[in-house]
Amino acid sequence: MTPNHKKHLMLLGIALLSSASAVKIGALIPLTGASSVSGQAQKNGLMLALDEINKAGGVLGQPLELVIEDDQSNPAKAVPAFTKMVTVDKIEFMVGGLGSSTTLAITGPAKQYNTFMAWSGAASPLVEDAMKDYPYFFHYHPWAYYNFEAILGFFKNLKGNKKAKNIAIAYEDGPFGSTGIQDTVNAFKKAGFNVVLTEAFKAGSGNFAPLVNKAKTQKVDIFYWVGYDVDALPLMQQIKESGLDVGIVYGAPPSWPVNFEKNKLAQGVASLTMWTPELPSTASKNFVKAYKAKYGNITDEYFAPLAYLNLKTLAEAINKAGSLNKDKVAEVMAKSTFDTPLGKLNFSPSQKIKYQGFKGSNWVTFQFRDEKRIPVFPLKVAKKTVLYPMP
Amino acid sequence: MTLFLETFLAGLLQSGIYALVASGLALSVGVIHIVNFAHGEFLMVGAFLSWGLFTLLGMDPLLSAVVAALAMFAGGALTYRTTIKHVLLAPELNQMLLTFGISITLQNLALLLFGGNTRVVNTSYQGEAVVLFGLSIGLTKLMAFLLALVLLVGLYLMLYRSKLGRSMRAVAQNRLGAQIIGLDVHRIYLIAFGIASALAGVAGVLVSVLLFASPAVGLVYTLKAFAIIVMAGLGNMTGVLWASVLLALSEAFVQTYIPNGGRMSEAVFFLLIFATLVFRASRGAR
Repeated sequence: MTPNHKKHLMLLGIALLSSASAVKIGALIPLTGASSVSGQAQKNGLMLALDEINKAGGVLGQPLELVIEDDQSNPAKAVPAFTKMVTVDKIEFMVGGLGSSTTLAITGPAKQYNTFMAWSGAASPLVEDAMKDYPYFFHYHPWAYYNFEAILGFFKNLKGNKKAKNIAIAYEDGPFGSTGIQDTVNAFKKAGFNVVLTEAFKAGSGNFAPLVNKAKTQKVDIFYWVGYDVDALPLMQQIKESGLDVGIVYGAPPSWPVNFEKNKLAQGVASLTMWTPELPSTASKNFVKAYKAKYGNITDEYFAPLAYLNLKTLAEAINKAGSLNKDKVAEVMAKSTFDTPLGKLNFSPSQKIKYQGFKGSNWVTFQFRDEKRIPVFPLKVAKKTVLYPMP
Repeated sequence: MTLFLETFLAGLLQSGIYALVASGLALSVGVIHIVNFAHGEFLMVGAFLSWGLFTLLGMDPLLSAVVAALAMFAGGALTYRTTIKHVLLAPELNQMLLTFGISITLQNLALLLFGGNTRVVNTSYQGEAVVLFGLSIGLTKLMAFLLALVLLVGLYLMLYRSKLGRSMRAVAQNRLGAQIIGLDVHRIYLIAFGIASALAGVAGVLVSVLLFASPAVGLVYTLKAFAIIVMAGLGNMTGVLWASVLLALSEAFVQTYIPNGGRMSEAVFFLLIFATLVFRASRGAR
């Protein structure tokens, strides 16, 4: 054996040893497909957290290894990716997750393999139903009913201050847009709004002219649309071109197109976020600083800090528990309060599950104004008053 | 009445881009007899070209359309020369697999290079409208429609009034006969495939302004273009026009006049295709 061979063998041995002793956590996120913008923000957040965790000594005195798989925003791809991680990579602790449909698809395998799910995504109550008795499910993202409360709060404010009463609803006809749409209509009506239009559309078709023309036959104060980033520009373009007289357009996509804020059609469009880089808390400021240092810029996607705190809190809980025993980790997670870029995090029961993290008090309504996302509601975090009617 | 006219106009304007995409596909099916599954991906390349030129150089999409047409003509000709030419006499399944492979390769290349994000081109005239007889018409859509119209008129003039067009039709009708009278069949195929790709490229530029650029944006248009050329009769160029208008109008009217019609517009068009195919088949069987 030549010295060169020996060197290679030694390096291989070290590599094998280090991978055998590293603690592995899996992340299932959408790097491609409809949710890719948020998924890539998630990846950045996770990698930043991984750097910090390993710099601070890793997990249980060993380096942390993060195995990332792309669920392609597709439930059919999420299941084999998840199964591969738990069976081939032997992963017992998972973070990540974004879409409701992809999460719903893996609830069965997660329970089957008894995986610890520190889950940052999924807002659909269908997921809450599926995981209600599972002891290792820690859900970070608010459920849809919490999100809706935040939206309704903003609309009620518009009703009180701006006399906005008529709502037109446009929703994409897949599970994301159409689940619970009747409940949404009923909730608006109960809150004293007139729902003047409820129309489905095909996400990505870009053909909004007939829908907007129909809306023109009514007086519309709030145009509420539930769809994907692909619909944002064609819809706004159509609204402007048709001359629809609307007070405000409120969108609820999982993410916005790259550089949408730089388009003049974005001016005045409102939406919801859990975080903005301008938040004054120390944890948020530290995150922004570290993110800028690593990537050279800052993102507006709240899934970046959410994924960051997702991995950081799990690693912290494992370290506090002092072992990889899931019951012990769960016990620590349940008792702890974490200081995160999105505010204080602790887990308490939601309508159906035992460990729910954020509950909607973090939701901030922002408006695209002068190429930025400006918080406008709730009033305690607002940087400017809402621009109504929008230009 | 205003709603009816606005719906009609929306459908008509939409038909321009459908016709542009479908004519390119009809050209490759009609002249070269090859079903190009990668047609939508050529459109996607055009959309990314437009986005790239806008982002890097601030180039207006109207100007990018010229660049995209030239680049995609060259790209199409290269694709023909390096791949399609060699499978012309192969079984149809091989040809389909080849173009399908090109489509997957292009889509994944785009994913590798640009990621899966939706990218938009911001122009000063987006959202602007002109008002004619009290009806508001989107400037971008009108420009896209007029550009499509000019290109289609040019394509028809080329096909029916020029020597090259006559040669193309001759090759389309009888390849062997055309070869016997001395036509350079491969040269004509190369030009036809280049023109088809250029049309897809220009359509892509329009799509980048009207919708967005993303690796999967071509898929919707491939599906619609296939539906249109099937409806028109494979290779029937004039049929493409009325089939495009029919698709766009049926989508618009179903969306406007049927509650939640957005869900049903495509189903209605495919029902129309079923009916046309069954009608044609039964007429042929008699």
